[in-house]
Amino acid sequence: MTNHIFQFNQVNRLILKDVNFKVNEGERLIIFGPSGSGKSTLLHLFNRMDDPDQGEIYFQQQLINDYDIPQLRKKVGLVLQQPHLFPETVLDNLKFGPSMFDEWEEERAYQLLNYVNLPKEYLTKPVEELSGGEQQRVSLARTLANKPDVLLLDEPTSALDDRNIEAIEEDLINLIEQHSLTVVMVTHSMDQAKRIGTKGLFIDEGQVIEFGDIAQLLETPKTEELKNFLHKS
Amino acid sequence: MERDIPTYSLLLLTVFVMIPFTIAYFYQLGLKKDIIWSTIRGTLQLFLIGLILTYLFDLPPLVGIPIMLTVIIIVATFHARKKGKELPYIFITILIGLISVELIVLAMWLGFDMISFTPEEVIPMSGMVIGNSMVAMGLALERLKSEFEQNRGKLLAALSLGATPKYAAHMTVKKTLNAALIPNIDQLKTIGLVQLPGMMTGLILGGVAPIVAIKYQLVISISIFSSVSLSAIFISMVMYRFFFNKQMQLLKLQDIKKSG
Repeated sequence: MTNHIFQFNQVNRLILKDVNFKVNEGERLIIFGPSGSGKSTLLHLFNRMDDPDQGEIYFQQQLINDYDIPQLRKKVGLVLQQPHLFPETVLDNLKFGPSMFDEWEEERAYQLLNYVNLPKEYLTKPVEELSGGEQQRVSLARTLANKPDVLLLDEPTSALDDRNIEAIEEDLINLIEQHSLTVVMVTHSMDQAKRIGTKGLFIDEGQVIEFGDIAQLLETPKTEELKNFLHKS
Repeated sequence: MERDIPTYSLLLLTVFVMIPFTIAYFYQLGLKKDIIWSTIRGTLQLFLIGLILTYLFDLPPLVGIPIMLTVIIIVATFHARKKGKELPYIFITILIGLISVELIVLAMWLGFDMISFTPEEVIPMSGMVIGNSMVAMGLALERLKSEFEQNRGKLLAALSLGATPKYAAHMTVKKTLNAALIPNIDQLKTIGLVQLPGMMTGLILGGVAPIVAIKYQLVISISIFSSVSLSAIFISMVMYRFFFNKQMQLLKLQDIKKSG
């Protein structure tokens, strides 16, 4: 038996047409393609923030619809493009997920801050006092607080400046390796795709055009669509 | 002593109407027709209600009161529903809400011996409670929609962390209730200071001693305060659920009716 963590079979949803692919445990899949190609729609299917019109999705060899939805979302954490932090403090955000499942332990707070390189004093800071980069770090730590098996990242650095992007990417790579997380990430930046990803899925007008090793996809694209896309970006 | 306004004085109210009419005419505000039409409509409506009330007050209370309350509640429901057209079961929810509020308030008034079960007392007092509850429901619905729109990102974040719709919407519903209840609380704070409340004014003009008028005003103000709170809480607690589907996904306002 294979160690697929996700399997998409003939999935259709809005623009997405007959999407088929598998994600193995520990892989870092980068979903990329032109704007409006269905990247975010696809990402939101992984934790049932959206559902397919047709087709099946399996998570850990079990139909995704068979999971209790909050439990599934706990295991498959999502970091959005914008941090969307809750009021009031950093601590309130970090304990939000675990408290719902009665799993919050006070000592976890400093560990989580440490994961995303924020000082201890930040724990009681009101979220509106944080910079954009710091807010996105808290958002990442908030998702990690749920101890997910899979991390979904929806362009998590697109709203940040270059210096912050680099720092957060570094933290991300460390965290992924430390926790042997499986990652599915949507990004516009091909440099970021190369730095973070191990696999790539190129999507255009809702169809999967190429799927495979990220380095190979970016260096030796097979289709005209991918060649054109890489040429433009 | 009962004082009446002579008919010729009433006719002279036209002079009051001529003031905004003249302004509209000189500044070409395009409101002339509206001013004339709303004056005529308002006058006719009031006289019609006067005639209906005179008729209903003559009926036995057990007949007249239910008839008038039914009419008031149905009209109020139609009116409040406009604010939540996009939401499913809006009519029936408002209707149930208003009936419940009215029954609770009426039971307390009668049970605590505050008013007697006569059309003269029940109908105007109930009209005020239902009217204010209608406005409160409308405000809460509008606010609920805008809070869900503004906090879409936070709601998505909460759901993606494993929150149930109830948990995710907690903050949004809280903000809605705050916004819907604060004007009501403020109004109660300044009662009698900024303007004499309508009911009290009416009773004093009708020759009732100010202290008695104040007692009635107190009953109605506190009743309105609690019924408005109850209405806003009820409509928000029932309606927030429709912003999510069974799969705990957040819906856009335009997709709510389709899924409902």
